[in-house]
Amino acid sequence: MTDFLYPFIDADERDPGPLLADLARSAAAKADATLALRTATMAATATALVRLADDMAARFSAGGRLLTFGNGGSATDAASVAALFRSAPGGRPLPARSLAADEAVLTALANDVGFDLVFSRQVIAHGRPTDIALGVSTSGDSANVVRALVEASARGLLTVGFAGYEGGAMAAAPLDHCVVVPSASVHRIQETQAALLFELWRLVQGAVGRAA
Amino acid sequence: MPPSARQTRPGATSRTREGGLVCRSTDDAHCLGLSGHDVAAAAFGLARRFAAGATLWCWSPVWPHHAQHVAVEFVHPVIVGTRALPAEAVEGADVTAALRTLVSPGDVIAAVAPADQPAVAPLLRRAAAWGATTVWMGAGDRPPSGAADHVLWVAAADGAWSGDLVLLYHLLWELTHVCFEHPGLLSEEACTEDVCITCSDQARLGEVVAPGAEGWATVRTAAGAEAVETTLVGPVEPGDLVLVHAGTAIDRVDE
Repeated sequence: MTDFLYPFIDADERDPGPLLADLARSAAAKADATLALRTATMAATATALVRLADDMAARFSAGGRLLTFGNGGSATDAASVAALFRSAPGGRPLPARSLAADEAVLTALANDVGFDLVFSRQVIAHGRPTDIALGVSTSGDSANVVRALVEASARGLLTVGFAGYEGGAMAAAPLDHCVVVPSASVHRIQETQAALLFELWRLVQGAVGRAA
Repeated sequence: MPPSARQTRPGATSRTREGGLVCRSTDDAHCLGLSGHDVAAAAFGLARRFAAGATLWCWSPVWPHHAQHVAVEFVHPVIVGTRALPAEAVEGADVTAALRTLVSPGDVIAAVAPADQPAVAPLLRRAAAWGATTVWMGAGDRPPSGAADHVLWVAAADGAWSGDLVLLYHLLWELTHVCFEHPGLLSEEACTEDVCITCSDQARLGEVVAPGAEGWATVRTAAGAEAVETTLVGPVEPGDLVLVHAGTAIDRVDE
């Protein structure tokens, strides 16, 4: 299963057959790994997700909005969650948006006050006490994500962190909820975070429906 | 089918007594509905194109965040020491016009979209006239085979939200980089296939750039722009697709 880790560095290699077989085996093994991590993390966080969903539903019912943020692939995952809450097919639309979506705001803040503040400054501008701040970081250490969550906490927003590894700085920050995917692979963490966030959306949909 | 046979069907899932999910996978049929062989072939093709200088253009008409996620994987790899590769997400009101200008022969276009998105198949078909290879990634019902050079799919209808689709393009990235450890396999020598499309008398897809003098037009094919006789197909407009054979447009191709 680990043949591919020991490539024969051979400029004369001509037959792609063995490589393609290794790649296919590797793909299936990685898919198995992510499924195992997903199943284990879902089980470990089941109760916490229900509590989180109830808290979020209460905020939405009070007119709150969901603000999401992250960097790189986590920025796109944060945008995905915002799109899911706002407009998922078959769901009840809830106000949500990503703070990494506007290149004018992002570059203005990065240029003028520094990248560590690109999300916290937006929390200051937009955040209301009824809102929800949801930050995604595979390491849990992204300074701009953690600073935005701390700022949101000070302003009374519901604060939610999604992290990997052992939670990093996010786990030590004063957040209302912190969900950790215990893995050291950025890719497997992101895939599992997506699964958890999708489950969270389903739970919030149910909770909002009950509250209505 | 006896129950024991059903249990071992490749790609099937079953529940343990404790409720856990058991994935009975093969390399070709994972229980998430993806084929390791398909991802391997796409990654190998992509690595060969990158090695020849290609750019990967990522586009999604419905999930722009997924297209951006694909691109950022390649541009800014999470694994230190992995090479940065040119990939870019495109969006906007007229992506066909944008890609027409941006795509060079040998590039790769990756669409991330469900099979029922009507804009995808026509754009990916047109890509052949630009000399681009195509990848279509999505979740749920699959597009017909042949809708792209590589169709990479996961089975769950909600796979675009549940992490399955993210896994699929992560795998494409991870396997592409494994290919770079095999430099001998990455050189794309011209016409190594049994049939060389450029030199054979096979018709090629062309996109009309501009009508010229009566009965002629400038047409773009994978080989570049050329003057083509259009008498057989009648008057043409910029953007029309035609089949080009021996310097002549022999038929029109519907979008």
